[in-house]
Amino acid sequence: MVLKGASLMWRLGISACAAAAMLLAEGFTFNIASPVAAQDYHAKMAAFVFRTQGCADAAKAVISGTAEGLVKGERRSVAVKIMPMGKPGVYAVYQGWPAEGDWLVNLRGTCGDASAGAIVPVGPKGFIRESSRFFARPATDAEIEAALKAHATGGGK
Amino acid sequence: MILTRHPLRELAAYIDERLPENRARRTERHVAGCTRCGNDCEAIRLGMAELENLPLVEAPDAIWTAIERQLQEKPAPKQQWRWTLAAALVAAAIIGVAYWGAARRLGVRWEVTRLAGSPVVGTTVIGATGRIGAGEWIVTDAGSRAAVKIGEIGSVDVEPDTRVRVLVTQPTEHRLALARGEIRAKISAPPRLFFVDTTAGTAVDLGCEYSLQVDADGVGRLEVTKGWVLFQWKGLESLVPAGASCRTRPSAGPGIPYFNDAAENIKQALERYAFEKGGVEDLNIVLASARVRDTLTLWHLLSRVPVEERGRVYDRMAALTPVPEGVSREKALQLDAETLKRWREELAWTW
Amino acid sequence: MVPLSDREISADIIQDCRSGDRDAFRALYDIYKDRVYSMALYFSRGDAAAASDITQQVFLKLMTGIGQFRGDAEFSTWLYRLVANACMDAARRQKAAPKYSQDMEMVAGEGSQEEDYARRQIASSVRAAVSALPPKFRVAVLLRYFDDLSYEQMAKALQCSMGTVASRLSRGHRMLGERLKGLARRP
Repeated sequence: MVLKGASLMWRLGISACAAAAMLLAEGFTFNIASPVAAQDYHAKMAAFVFRTQGCADAAKAVISGTAEGLVKGERRSVAVKIMPMGKPGVYAVYQGWPAEGDWLVNLRGTCGDASAGAIVPVGPKGFIRESSRFFARPATDAEIEAALKAHATGGGK
Repeated sequence: MILTRHPLRELAAYIDERLPENRARRTERHVAGCTRCGNDCEAIRLGMAELENLPLVEAPDAIWTAIERQLQEKPAPKQQWRWTLAAALVAAAIIGVAYWGAARRLGVRWEVTRLAGSPVVGTTVIGATGRIGAGEWIVTDAGSRAAVKIGEIGSVDVEPDTRVRVLVTQPTEHRLALARGEIRAKISAPPRLFFVDTTAGTAVDLGCEYSLQVDADGVGRLEVTKGWVLFQWKGLESLVPAGASCRTRPSAGPGIPYFNDAAENIKQALERYAFEKGGVEDLNIVLASARVRDTLTLWHLLSRVPVEERGRVYDRMAALTPVPEGVSREKALQLDAETLKRWREELAWTW
Repeated sequence: MVPLSDREISADIIQDCRSGDRDAFRALYDIYKDRVYSMALYFSRGDAAAASDITQQVFLKLMTGIGQFRGDAEFSTWLYRLVANACMDAARRQKAAPKYSQDMEMVAGEGSQEEDYARRQIASSVRAAVSALPPKFRVAVLLRYFDDLSYEQMAKALQCSMGTVASRLSRGHRMLGERLKGLARRP
């Protein structure tokens, strides 16, 4: 019993250290904003902009994204144009999805061994910050579907 | 040898690697230690890079046709070529002078398209399209609308019951004056090429889409849908981003910008504070109700509140969102320009 | 811009032009027409009619004066002197009457619709910024961009010293950069 208790304490201790380490370490992540934040007139026509944080060499981050949507009940996926802006680590996302339907942008990135992801619902007035979600890894298919469903039913607006 | 004078006129040659080696090295050392020359280098590099966006344009076939016609009319001998060319140049000069004279009288005239009803340009009701030049008014009644093409940089929709005058139609300045009514501008150009004057101040385009309304008393509202607009009046400035608005009043200039989804009590408090000698109570409402996004409003308030209140505004902003590195409380309260700029750039990521 | 080399302009073409060979002249025209027209168009603030006039004048003068081209200077230097002079003459004539052209046909332009749209928007902004440059800076900047001449060649084309070329390029590009920097300088 004592050993079991000690083992549990060890596990708890290790978990606490890992959690602390995660808290203390600056993770690779995305930060989204309206186009003016890029301070770059090339971003003016963008749907939104984002920047990477926690990447030691922002210029070397590998970024990609798709737009996921529901159009009249039909599930669709289209490429989005992501352009780097003048400042390293800052990107503009241009609308490549149709006006019809409900859409979100799924962003993925890697910086060395670290990964990041974001789900950004978009509407007629631009991106919806309140229902955007950020991950320390690419979003899963299930997370994308759930977010799309919530967005389509007005949960994300 | 260290350059003691700024080699401003050689910076392009330095960047192009056209300077002799020793001079290039001296320039490099100077630039490394000189903020002014470093900034100039950055601007020059940007200018060079942006030119890459200029596409090669195909020459129209008509040019060769015209050349060929000239060649055929007076074939080969050089003397005849010279006479032909001389005649062509004289003709071109005469045409050029005549055109220049006419154009100087008329100025550049922008195209106006009727969207509805019977818009009037000057004293003329336009048909499907018309033209408007500097000094002329365009007036719409309750049933009329028009679209004005602003040079090569965009367009302005003139809404019903509007009086707007074209002031300047130059490539470096496109300027209107809105007396009353509403216009909706869509501008695609580098900043500060398009301006709209009102009795409350001037809207300066920074690359944007926006609507500007002015009522019969000159009271107005600027609402931005894309990009930014700077509204200026006698040194007072409001920077309004997409999704935000700003009220304006004659002899008071721009109010304090707010996001359109801000709480109503914030908007009302700002109106009182900016235009009706509102005081501490209104400031308290704004500070208490502000969200992270309302740091747009708080950032502007920092330079509008009395000195003794700046600390409260700063503290509220700091509580809503982390203060970025390089922004000190002391310098922010002193309204240090670089500090405020740095802070605004970082805050924009939360707006 | 990919620079042309005078090596591409063979001595044969020049000689044939001197002899009045229309095909040779047409070949020379085809090699340079888009660059000359583009320079003239951006110099003329998008005025297609003015650009066409300038281009026509340049090539007519070239054909007329090719007998004077002794080959002791590079051909492009001589050609661009004609272009620069024609542009500056046009600027003096049309100082009060800048006009705008709506559509510009582009030589290249493959890509999706949104890429084309974004590219046109950016090009429009850069065109406006170039239009705002004083004529002497404008012609120097365009000369450097469209054919990447050496400073010595540009000095000959613009009939000024290399120092003046360097100064105009510095000031012209700096003005462009500052105008196109967007919000970077706003507090």
